[in-house]
This record gives sequence, C-alpha cells and structure tokens, in this order.
Amino acid sequence: MEHWQIALIIMIGYLIIALVVGVWAGKGRDSGSLDEFAVAGGKLGLIVMWFLMGGAVFSAFSFLGAPGWAYEKGAPAYYIIIYTAFAILPWYIIGPKISRIGKKFNLYTLSSFFRIRYKSKTLGIIVGLLALLASIQYLATQLTGMAHIFNIMTEGRIPFWLGALLAYGIVVIYVATGGLRAAAWSDVFQGLLMIIISWVVGIAIVNQLHDSMGVMFTNIATENPGFLQIGKEGSAMGTIPFTTTILVSVIGFLMWPHLFTKSYASSPKVIKKTVLVYPIFALFLVPLLLVGFAAKGIVDANLIESADQVLPFLITTVMNLPGWVYGLVGAGALAAAMSSADAITHNATLETTDGVIRTIFKDLSDKTVLKIMRIGVFGIGGLAYIITIFGGQGLIVLLLGAYGAIVQFAPGVYSALYWRGATAKGVISGLVVGAILNFYFQLVADTTPLGIHAGIIGLIANVVIMIVVSLLTKSDRSEEEDTYIRS
Amino acid sequence: MSKKKFTTIYILVVTIPFLLLIFPLFEIANRATPIIMGLPFSFFYIILVILITFSGVLILYKFDPDHQFEEGDE
Repeated sequence: MEHWQIALIIMIGYLIIALVVGVWAGKGRDSGSLDEFAVAGGKLGLIVMWFLMGGAVFSAFSFLGAPGWAYEKGAPAYYIIIYTAFAILPWYIIGPKISRIGKKFNLYTLSSFFRIRYKSKTLGIIVGLLALLASIQYLATQLTGMAHIFNIMTEGRIPFWLGALLAYGIVVIYVATGGLRAAAWSDVFQGLLMIIISWVVGIAIVNQLHDSMGVMFTNIATENPGFLQIGKEGSAMGTIPFTTTILVSVIGFLMWPHLFTKSYASSPKVIKKTVLVYPIFALFLVPLLLVGFAAKGIVDANLIESADQVLPFLITTVMNLPGWVYGLVGAGALAAAMSSADAITHNATLETTDGVIRTIFKDLSDKTVLKIMRIGVFGIGGLAYIITIFGGQGLIVLLLGAYGAIVQFAPGVYSALYWRGATAKGVISGLVVGAILNFYFQLVADTTPLGIHAGIIGLIANVVIMIVVSLLTKSDRSEEEDTYIRS
Repeated sequence: MSKKKFTTIYILVVTIPFLLLIFPLFEIANRATPIIMGLPFSFFYIILVILITFSGVLILYKFDPDHQFEEGDE
C-alpha cells in the first residue's frame, strides 16, 4: 500500500472515533434542556474541564504554526510557550467570580455578562457580534489547518474543500447534538492523542535529523547566534514587538467568550484546580518548537509555500517516514484543530442566539431557543466553512487578528468585576475606539509606532476613553453592580 | 489568611516571574549560550521560570482561604 493510503485510512479511522466519542458523550443526558446544551448543567468535572481548556489553546496554530515560527524566526517562537503558561493565571482570581455571577443570573455568554452589568442591550449586541466575527476568523484558521493536513498527508489527493468539510463536518454534528458536554469529552480523546503524538514525533525528528538536541542548538548558536536571540543582529523580531505580542496574547486569552461559558459550566473549585495543572499544556508545546528548530538548515525555505507547512513537509518529503507516521501526525494535527473548533463553534452559536437574537426577540421559550441554537451550529459552521474556502490568509495573521479584536473586551470585563464607576457609555466608546484603532494598525497601516502590537495601541486608547467617558456619565448605583463586585 | 491578602500575594507571585520573561528584564537571559540540558540558555530559562511559577501557585493553593468552604469538588 502507498504511504498516502495508509495515512488516509488512519485519519479516517481517527475521524470516526472522534464522531462516536462526541455523539456518545451527548447521549443519555436531558436532550431537551437548554442549560445542558449551553453549560452542561454547570457540572463539568476537573479532568474534562482541563482538556476542554487545553484543547482550546492547543490548536492548529500550535501544531503547524509553532514549528513554523521556530523554523522561520527562531527565538521569537518562545512567545507561544510564555503566553500559554501565563495567560491562564488571572483565571484563578476572576474565574470563580465569573462562575458565581453566571450562576446567579443564569448566564450562558459573555454578551449577557455585559448586558446585565451595564444594563445596556446595545452593548450586549455589540459584544455578541464582535464575538461572532472573531470566532469565525478563528474557526477559519482551524479549518485551513485541517484542510492543509489532509492535503499534504495524502500527497495532494484530498482537495482543500473536501478535507475541511470532512473534519469540520464531524465537529458540527457532535456539537449540534451534544452541546458543550460533547465538545468536552471529544477534547479529552483529542487532547490525549495530540499530546502523545507531538512528543513522540517531536523527539524522533530531532534525533533523526541531528545527533542530539544539544548538538543541534550548538550548531545554530555558532552559525547564527542572533537566531536564538531577540532584538539582536540577525534576530527576526525586536524586543518591543516580542513583549507587546506576549502582552496582547496574555490579556486576550481570558477574554475569549468561550472562557466565560466554561466559567459558568464549572464550580469555583474546579476552575482553580484547572489553573494549577494547566502549565503542563504549555510544556507540551516544547517538542513542537524543537521540530521547527530541527528543520532549520535542512529544509530549503523556497520549497514550501509557507513556514506553517514545515512539520508535514519534513515528514512526507525530507525524512521519507513510513505511511503510518504520516497518518499519526495527520490525526494529531486534526485533533488539535478540531478540539479548538468545537468549543469555539459552540460558543459562537451561544453568543449569537442567547446574546443577540434573544435580546432582540424577548419572549422566546427555552425550547425554541434550544432549537435555534442547534440550527445555529450548522449556520455558523457553514459560514466559517465558506469563508475558509473562498477567503484565505496565513494562519498566524488570522489568529492574531482575531485576538486583537477580542482583547478590547478586557477593560469592560475587569471594570465589571472591580470598578463601580464604569458605565455602559464608557465601555461602549472605549470598545469601539479600541477595535477601530486595532483594525487600522493591523490591516491598513504598514507599521505601528515603535513596533508596538496593534492590540496594545487599541487597548491603551480603550482604557483612557472608557475611564474619561465613565466619569462624565455617572449612573446610579445598581444591585447588579454590587453583585458583580461582591461575587 | 484573609481573602484580600491572599489575592495580593497571588498577584505578586504570578506577576514577578512574568516580568522576568518580557523585556526589559528578559534581557538578562537573552542569549543562546551556554547550552543547558540540550537547550539554548534563553529557552532553558523560560521553562525554568514557568516551572517555578507554577510550583509557587501550587503551594499558594494550599493557603487559599476559600477552598475549604466551597462545594462542588468534581
């Protein structure tokens, strides 16, 4: 049998298991309950929660983008490990607070978190729509990853549109049937798989291409020391871009709306324990960076379309490994992409149905909302699919772009939890200005002042404007305000 | 330990190591050599700081005034 046939069989086998696990997890629960679909009844346990969190951060970006960064830029790739480890830490303090607020007001989304605290439907709708756009952008990166993997591992036999359709179709099916619980249990399976595969394959590649890790890095350090440094001669990134990229990722990570849904879905104690065991996920990224460094000096940059393809290229073309290795790496990368896509798809659906539609049409019954949500999963899924197939950009630009818009929620969220003085008008004006500035510096302007990340520029303006406008538009004390602060 | 005091200590414990990993402080480790345990110095340093931070958080968890009273373990 040809390599690509074995790889295809393994990947299809993986997809079938993923589908079975996802659909099975949703079975036997109260399938007519909105609460079950949205936040798994608020009762997710530690292990499931941990993988749900890990699955979301361990994405197509980690599997393809992280080796790509290490291969192309060198030391700046460390940013991925630093932000993965540190971004979770504030959750120990704010997660339990958000969880208690969510249970008290029966929240499912970030949009309703804003709407209740600031008593503003407009704010709720703006947040819901921004969350939807960012999620679609994020989903597009995962879908592109899935499609690339299928395409490369089968040596071009599975076209781009079909690979994305197969893998993401399965995600949409299990999310629509089983809701958050299905996403969580598939993440346990997918998480274990990608962790094992990344370590085994990562170490194997380094040892085969170089005598050992030490020899590999010694060679790079003698030939091009700047490659292993930041802001030096021969470095790919300066100190300010490096630092602000970490900052924007650390602040932005917890602002992702699906983190709020997860906070409502578990108890304060589970949230805290999740934070404690989380760094293990950051360390799982280490072998993937090693793969990128190992490819340095071996893979000719002109032979691959983008740095993201360096891991699959190594396996299929340079090292000529057996077909089952193709298949395993393919399955691992699919798992990484799918475990991020499921939670985001689920959440984007909640934000639009619970956050936007339910705010506009008030008297919908829970049953109708649940029905709209299930259909919504297909709608959101379809939209993400179409944008991926007919749109297209580099993986990392897309992810950082989505992050840039999401991070602008931070001033409003932290004020809701800690500052009584913030008003709806203040938060809205800060958010709008921040998002516009971010958009301008990210996509329109060629450079930013001093190389500061566009998201940080937006954030600074956002905070200043939010404080000034809030002070000018003081509102009366409200009960919700008190509950948010005291929770 | 009061809840407020715990929160303050927690914030310090996680912020200080974070500052060690971004500029300007990261400059102290911004070099390729020596190679330690097969890794460039900067890479090794980052992993070390992450491990220390989480050991710190793990120890701190034992002193969390909240967690004796909370329901819903698992």
